[in-house]
Parts: sequence; structure tokens; C-alpha cells
Amino acid sequence: MGGMTRGGTGRSLAGWAALAPAGLWLGAFFVVPVALVAQYSFATRDLGIARVVLPWTLDAYRLALDPAVLPIFWRTAAYSLSATLACLVIGLPLAWFVARHAGRWRLVLLGAVLVPFWASHLARVYAWKALLAEDGPVNRVLGLVGLDRPGGLLLTDAAVVVGLTYGYLPFMVLPLYVVCRRFDPRLLEASYDLGHGRFGTFFRVVLPGLAPGVVAGSLLVLVPSVGDFVTPALLGGVNQLTFGGVIDDQFRGGNNWPLGSALAVLLLATVAVLWVARGRRAREVL
Amino acid sequence: MGDRDAVRIARLWDGRERPLTRRAMLRSTAFFALAAHGAAGCAISEPVQPRHTDPAAERAVNEVEEPVLNFFNWTDYVDEDTIPGFEDETGISVTYDNFSSNDELEAKLAAGASGYDLIVPSDNFLRRFLRSDLLRPLDHDLIPNLGNLERRFREAEYDPGNRYSVPWAWGTTGLAFSRQALGGADVTSLDAFRLAAARGRSVLLDEARDAMALGLLGAGHDPNTTDPGELEDAVEYLLDLKSVLGQITSDVIEPLASGQAPLAQAWSGDVFQAMETNPDLDFVIPEEGGLSWVDVLCVPRSAPHAANAHRFIDHILRPEVGGRLANAIQYGSPNAAARPFVDEELLADERIYPSAEALARVPFTRDLGPEIEGRYADAWTRVKTG
Repeated sequence: MGGMTRGGTGRSLAGWAALAPAGLWLGAFFVVPVALVAQYSFATRDLGIARVVLPWTLDAYRLALDPAVLPIFWRTAAYSLSATLACLVIGLPLAWFVARHAGRWRLVLLGAVLVPFWASHLARVYAWKALLAEDGPVNRVLGLVGLDRPGGLLLTDAAVVVGLTYGYLPFMVLPLYVVCRRFDPRLLEASYDLGHGRFGTFFRVVLPGLAPGVVAGSLLVLVPSVGDFVTPALLGGVNQLTFGGVIDDQFRGGNNWPLGSALAVLLLATVAVLWVARGRRAREVL
Repeated sequence: MGDRDAVRIARLWDGRERPLTRRAMLRSTAFFALAAHGAAGCAISEPVQPRHTDPAAERAVNEVEEPVLNFFNWTDYVDEDTIPGFEDETGISVTYDNFSSNDELEAKLAAGASGYDLIVPSDNFLRRFLRSDLLRPLDHDLIPNLGNLERRFREAEYDPGNRYSVPWAWGTTGLAFSRQALGGADVTSLDAFRLAAARGRSVLLDEARDAMALGLLGAGHDPNTTDPGELEDAVEYLLDLKSVLGQITSDVIEPLASGQAPLAQAWSGDVFQAMETNPDLDFVIPEEGGLSWVDVLCVPRSAPHAANAHRFIDHILRPEVGGRLANAIQYGSPNAAARPFVDEELLADERIYPSAEALARVPFTRDLGPEIEGRYADAWTRVKTG
């Protein structure tokens, strides 16, 4: 943001003024709400309409770290890591192809990845509900080869991972596309010339070259899928409650705002740690 | 795309919901309540202590003396003649606004003086509003028709003696099932969840008190228990039940209507609505028992026309007015004197007017006080996360 400075005299007033809209926005809609949530997490639950009252207490954190709540950590980690891996497996070849082999179709294909993203996430999850239902097309096609499942594929862990993968794939493809475009093809020739086979070239040359994009894309998929509660709630079965789902329950069900807030603070802290640890190379992209 | 898909997708945009859905609707408006909190000042305050005023000492008078009544009710939850009839007779002009979820009502009320004189929360939100001291005790001198209420509603657990509320309509929480999908089996008890045809497809309500009640009843306890040990039993029962459940959600209309769920814990009103699409559905109070729910008329503390609100309450308690209301909305009428004016066909339907024997198995949800209610909520969180 230092581009506004003139003649190397440090940040001018105009430079700071340019920051003001973003600053106000972040202040009002990010810093203040997060501070509120942090404050709520130390308050006492109220079952009237106030929801949170004095006195201050650590009860919410005690409950949040209770062993009975542990399953949601593993479940959330399993869902979001599976979805991230699936996005990587689908997104890497896709990005490579679009970036390097699509020629004049490049922008069209990139658009095809992005356009579904313009529709509401909720509507797209509902579409998956219809697709995966017992009488839905996916189960019927699987039925042709005898692989259909009574009750359809809805309400399963697989459905949740499919929904998350579909929902966040563009977040993976875009950073990968950037690093694939930047990748110098002469490195491939050099690798083959110097004796690497296809596998060696991929793992020792291509993948390290694309690493910043891989890390950035993975974070961009991982973080929102950890917090997503709509997809698991609509596609998952009875054991689908994730971190985001528990937080949602505490607020919408009116059950326990301090607990919901404490969980949100813990989630934010985890994400912050991941972010700081994302490594120098990922910072080139993200 | 089959018809079922069409139903599923149509539900997405179905804005015209009938009464009971809103208990179940996506309760996004709670976030607006949160926003209102923020706007009202971020400071967290001491808990409100409900004033224990003597109802007899509190006369209901109009703060603003004008023939106006601001009435806030659920959508599609009134007879077409209820309001014009009241206006013609009293000369009071009614501003009739609608909400579609309890949270929406709460958001309006939480934002401060809402201007409403008369509101219709469900009993679970009546408890919440009372804890925050938002309601005015009723002036029984202005409601001579109160005696028309069935005894059950005069001594009800949710508001004994009608100190703060007069019931508008009521129903039960029981089991909805699709006879065909369950292979013709008749559902009589909670064992139905174990039927092979229901395995992995049945639904439990995502509402702490309702779901915990099912667990308590299944474990052979009182659904209004205050015993922590019995609550533990219920958690065990429900964790075990989870292995055969399909889903935990309060949006049961769509899965029941589409046939996706052959068995669900449900509010009677939601089932009647699902029946319009899926006539194979039926509703039963399992032999272990269920709960009654009720939507009630109350007067907010901030009501500018409290006396007019009382006049309306007395008006709706008249036999013929109450009868017409019951016929229009097709929910249970709490008005004993109105029975002669209710359609025979509705009275004969045990799903709306359960037999005396079944009524004994469906108590109202009792307010157990903040500490125990908190325990119910946390027990339910444990069932869901476990």
C-alpha cells in the first residue's frame, strides 16, 4: 500500500486517506464483531432475551475444552482435510491444463470454474441434496452397476466431503492457476535432460515449483470448510456436527452464546496459527 | 427430475408457511437480534430480575387513549372474520402485522419499545420473555370470559393461573410416520425407531426440550424432570438412538412430505402441513408419551394500548369467535365453551383433539428455572456432538 507515497517523504496524508474506507469497513465489521465475540465468551449465559449477562467467567472455555466436545474436533478436521485433499487432486491437473494447454480457451475454461461460484452457496448445496437423494441421478447411475445405496448417498460423510469439495474448488484452482502460469517450462526440459523420469520430474521439480500455490489454495479451502456449517447440516447425517455447526447451534438455538463465542475464539486462534505457519513461499501468492 | 425433487426445490422458495413451520424455520433472524444488541450498546449487563408484581395491583390502562390495537401474530393464523368482527364491535382499529418465527418476534421485542400491544409467542418463548421481564401481568378483571378456557389451560405448567398469557391454539409433539414406507406397521411406541425400514432415515427434532423429552420418556422418566441423574439417562438413551437415526433437524416438513423420512418426531402442525403433499402420513402420541405445545396471547410491558389488548383477549375467548378461529386454522382450540361451534370433523380427529387417555400423556413443557434449563441445553449439545 506504499504506492501512494511521493518523493520518498514517507506516507502522505493522501496515502492514509486512501486507507480510510477499508479501515472503517474492517473496524466496523471485523474488529468490533470479533471483540464482541471475545467479550461474550467470558460472560455468563442468560436464558432470557439478553443471552449474555455478567458476571465474567471462564465456564464457556471449560465447556468448550470438555472431552465430550472432542469428537467435533476430529470430525471437523477429517471433513476439511479430506475436502482440501480432494480439491488438490482435482484442482492441480485442472489448473495445469487450463494454464498451459488450453490456448485460447483459457479464459473460457477459467470462467467455467468460476461461474457456478456466482450462485448462492445454499442453493448449490440444495442442488446436491437433489442429486444425491435416493431417487436422485447419482444413485440411479450407481444402480446401473449395482453400486447404489438404499437411502441414497445423502446423510453420509461422503456427501459432506463432496459438498465441501464442490463448494470450495475455485479457491484451490485460482492460486494453482497463477503458479502454473508462472512455472518455467524450461525447467521440465532440464529435468528430463538431467535424468529424471516422469515421476521424478513431477515430485522433485513441478511440485516444489507449484508449492506456493498448493499451500495457498489448501489454506483457502481448509479455512472456510472448517467453519462451514451449512454443508454438513444439509448433506450430512446424524453424526455430522462440526465445529461451525456447534457454534451455529449455540447461537441460533439460543442455547449458549458464551459457549458459541468461546468456540469461535478457539477456531479463530487455530486459523491464526495456521496462517502464521503457512511458510514464506506461500506468502508469495497469498 | 421426479416429483419429489420438485417438491424439495419448491420448498426452498415457499414463502407461505403455515403456523407451525416457523418454530422450525431457519432462524436467521436471531442474528438480527444480535445486531440489535450491538447497536443498543455493547456493554453486557447484570441479569434482569423479573418483578414479582401482584397482578391484582396492576390495572391495565391505555397509555395512549385512542381506539387502536397493534397486534403481532403468526402468518396465516387467524380467521378472516376475527379482526373485522372485533373492529366492528368495539370501534378499535387493528393494525395486524405478521411474523414467521419466534426469533423474528423476539428480535422486534428485544429492539425496545416495539409498539405492539398483543403478541403470540410459543410457550418456549413465553418462558424466555418472562425471564427477561418483557410481559405485563394480565388484568383478569378485564377478561370475564377467561372462565371459558378448558381447565387444562387454566392450570397449565407453562403459566399457572394465566397470569401472563391466554392460549391462542395448541397442539402436541409426537411421532409422524408414513404407514406405507414402514411396511404397513402401526406406530404405537418409540420402538418404531428400531424398525428396519426406519433405520438411518428417521428424524429427531433439533430442539433441546423436545428432543430431551423423547430421551426422558424413552428412559421411563418425566419429560419435565429436574433430576440430573435422569437427564443423564436421557443422554444415554439418545446417544444410543442416534445409531439408528437419519437426521437431527427441526425442518421435518420437507423430509416427511417427500417421503425421505418414514418416521419423525414432529409437531402436530407440521405434520398436518406435510400431509397435504403426502397423504400416507399419520401422527400419533407414542405410548411412552409426548408433549403439548401452545401459542399464547400476551401483552408486552411496553404496550401503549394495554386495555385494548385485554378487550381483544376477551373477544377471542367468546364461544362463537373461538369456534370460528379453530375451524379456520385447524389447530386445537383451548376454549371449552367454543366446542359447540367447532366442526364435528375436527373434533373427531384425535390428532387435533386427543382422547382424555392420550391427553394424560402430553404434559406442557414446564419452566424449570435458568439452572436446570441450562442443563437441558448442555445435555442436548452433548447428544449432538457425541
